[in-house]
Amino acid sequence: MALLSLRTINKMFYRGDEEIHAVRDVNLEINESEFIAITGSSGSGKSTLLYMMGLLDVPTSGEYLIRGSATSTLSDAERARLRNQYMGFVFQSFHLLARATALKNVMMPLLYSASHGETKETRLQEEMALSVLQRVGLAERIHHIPNQLSGGQRQRVAIARAIVNNPRVIFADEPTGNLDSKSGGEIIELFESLHREGVTVVIVTHDPRIAERAPRRLVLEDGSIVGDINAN
Amino acid sequence: MQTSAILRMSLESLWAQKLRTLLTILGMVIGVGSVVLLVSVGEGAKRYVMREFEGLGSNLIVVQPGKSDKKTHLGPPVGAAQRKMTVSDVSAIERTARNIEAVSGLVLGTVSARYEESLSNITVFGTNEQFPDILSIAVGQGGYFTREEDEYRRRVVVIGRNVAHELFGDLSPLGRRIKLNESEFRIVGVLAPMGDKLGLSFDELAFIPTQAALKLFNEDKLFGIRAKASSRVGMDDAVEEIREILRERRDGEEDFTILTQLSMMESLNTILSMLTYVLAAIATISLIVGGIGIMNITWVSVIERTQEIGIRRAVGARRRDILQQFLSEALGLSFLGGLLGVGGALAITYILYAVFPAFDMRSPWWILLPAFGMSLLVGVVFGVGPAWRASRIETLDALRYE
Repeated sequence: MALLSLRTINKMFYRGDEEIHAVRDVNLEINESEFIAITGSSGSGKSTLLYMMGLLDVPTSGEYLIRGSATSTLSDAERARLRNQYMGFVFQSFHLLARATALKNVMMPLLYSASHGETKETRLQEEMALSVLQRVGLAERIHHIPNQLSGGQRQRVAIARAIVNNPRVIFADEPTGNLDSKSGGEIIELFESLHREGVTVVIVTHDPRIAERAPRRLVLEDGSIVGDINAN
Repeated sequence: MQTSAILRMSLESLWAQKLRTLLTILGMVIGVGSVVLLVSVGEGAKRYVMREFEGLGSNLIVVQPGKSDKKTHLGPPVGAAQRKMTVSDVSAIERTARNIEAVSGLVLGTVSARYEESLSNITVFGTNEQFPDILSIAVGQGGYFTREEDEYRRRVVVIGRNVAHELFGDLSPLGRRIKLNESEFRIVGVLAPMGDKLGLSFDELAFIPTQAALKLFNEDKLFGIRAKASSRVGMDDAVEEIREILRERRDGEEDFTILTQLSMMESLNTILSMLTYVLAAIATISLIVGGIGIMNITWVSVIERTQEIGIRRAVGARRRDILQQFLSEALGLSFLGGLLGVGGALAITYILYAVFPAFDMRSPWWILLPAFGMSLLVGVVFGVGPAWRASRIETLDALRYE
């Protein structure tokens, strides 16, 4: 069974009087442990598609299934639980809490695990956060706040936050968009190593380096998938 | 999320913005503080007045000519008497009533008192020999005048401590003669220091026999009658006895009013309690203003942290978690405000008590908990709107908010 299935997904929204058809009749299956890059010009609907897959947005029509279960009827709490325990998010502008240290930022998803019936002791939370921060190479900077970190380091904190709860799938929206090419390269390598461990990675990107290295590549145009290239 | 985690998070967030937190709770501190303070002042005033009344002597019964509305218990309108109240009324009560320990007529007037070159204007009470017992008056030197001295219209006088001092300085006044207006009176006693009772300084008074007073003031009626019930339990019986006796003497007409120390205290208590409640209600308004301050800051905080809300939602926070987070911050503000307000007001009342021991306005304990509880309630009431709004923001809009 596919991990994620999209069946004739459409997304419409309004900007003033103008109706925008952001995503058009998208059918898509994503399996466990895939590494997918979604490319397309800006405004092609790729981010909208990503956020719908990440349960941060809802389709106007069509059905989105996770492991075969429909998501349209899920409550807010259930959607929050799936985001917390099955998904991780990485954003272009990092989206870290400015006031919190790297460690606290990474611990945040674990804090909300308690809302979904998985209470972890603070010490265990810290250990888990520390171990993923080590993994992204930031063991020395756990008590720094985002302002004291470089862009690449911030994005690595964000990745650590995305993987701290052992998600099945990571959604990344232009993760290298705000980074220089060296930091960007390090971030791509991190995603690749996560993929090698079996995590599904879905990346929306303009970055040709990611697109080249992704085994599967989707191309969007005006909200429709116009290319689905599988390198294997 | 766990309650402890929410609490820690809210406190961290309030701590991160110390100045803002402080300024926000200031309104709350003043609001709660003024509730506690004003109620304390009200209660203190009540205690003060009550103590003054108790000082009049327990079991006191006051009879005044004139009928008053029964509900007010504060006495008849002055000069509304139909019939004179006389010394024979006093005698009748003394003869007949069984629950009365002492009874005396009262005549009032102001006179000029002269001894050689010393002159002083004083208030004179005309009473019989039982009066000291009724109002717990203690004679320091000499003694009060006797029944015989009253009946034989002797011109004798007992003077207050300050009157003695003014007229005689360090001389002993006993046995000396002073002139009250144009009549000469012999001093038979000087009161022990009495202080004030209900604003009336007994040290400034002089007491002469009823008959002598009536003559001195050229009067034939009493200002009123004062009596003392034999016991506190017999109070109602004593009042009824007096009522019956006086009505009988007035062909069944009740053109007088009987008050007891107890009924006066009850009336005053009601009035002063009302005053306290009014003060508390006024102060509550400032508490509400403090609550609006908290609401304002919580709104600002929600807007400022819209992106944070989006991030939290993306990593798995439910709407409820967001609601709880902001609500607990509002509660944290009102908790701190309430704590400081109650504590500050408590401290102020204790300091004032230390400076002015005569006016005990230390906060009554029963106001502290409600005042504190009210501040928490205000926090919830004014925090729930912004917190609810925060929880309804769409995740994606929040993430994109700049």
